[in-house]
Amino acid sequence: MKNQVRELREQRGWSQGELAEQLDVSRQTVNAIETGKYDPSLPLAFRIAKLFRHSIESIFEPGKD
Amino acid sequence: MVRLSQQAHQRRVMIAMAIYVVVFLWVWPLARSADALWLKAAYALAPVPPVVYVIWLMARRVLGGDELEQRTHLIGLGVAAAAVSVYGIVSGFLASAHVFGAEWSAAALVWIFPLLVVVYASARAYAARRYGGGACEEDDISRATRFLYLAVVFAAIAAYVYWRKGDADGTGLAVGMAVGMLASAVFFAIRQRRRRRSAQE
Repeated sequence: MKNQVRELREQRGWSQGELAEQLDVSRQTVNAIETGKYDPSLPLAFRIAKLFRHSIESIFEPGKD
Repeated sequence: MVRLSQQAHQRRVMIAMAIYVVVFLWVWPLARSADALWLKAAYALAPVPPVVYVIWLMARRVLGGDELEQRTHLIGLGVAAAAVSVYGIVSGFLASAHVFGAEWSAAALVWIFPLLVVVYASARAYAARRYGGGACEEDDISRATRFLYLAVVFAAIAAYVYWRKGDADGTGLAVGMAVGMLASAVFFAIRQRRRRRSAQE
């Protein structure tokens, strides 16, 4: 699954650690989401969308299966 | 529950395990020579508190983790459970067939927890690396420090074997392991320093 988390975070000038703190997850988890190595659960995806004030589908795009 | 950083967690685990090794080598053997049953039991169970503390730290770490951390913990615990099960059934069959003596059977039981911890930590580290954990290595205790701790543990074992048993082969093996761990610590410390310098440049 592709996502725009890194772009959105960099637009706001946040570090991975700062985003992790706001989402109440570890920096490793933010890094794994940004690099596409881990797809977040639905509740975490909703938290990310709410934080960036975007819809989930505008941040996360399904990858090729 | 207050979430411990990975570094704080690892430091506490290592200190507890170091205490466990010291108690196991120096206090536990006193159980054999103690006369009173209560004293014998107290000496025999002396290594248990640090182990219980480590289990509590592990539970705290899992419960305080986010969803990805809990997934990697689950992978680590699953692999460790499988490894310990195989170890348990193999040593159980061998003990039942009297392939080993009673001393060896008891020693096999003592090694269950260390085996579980080592396999759990290795499998979890592997799983975390697959999720890109390697990109955040500065959150962990450096490999140099880990090998330094292990060198100290093996040096303590060497001292114990030499002091209690006077076993030249056992002492040599433990000293060799301690030197190997120390050499690894120096290697990783130099590598880490070079990486930091090249990152600054």
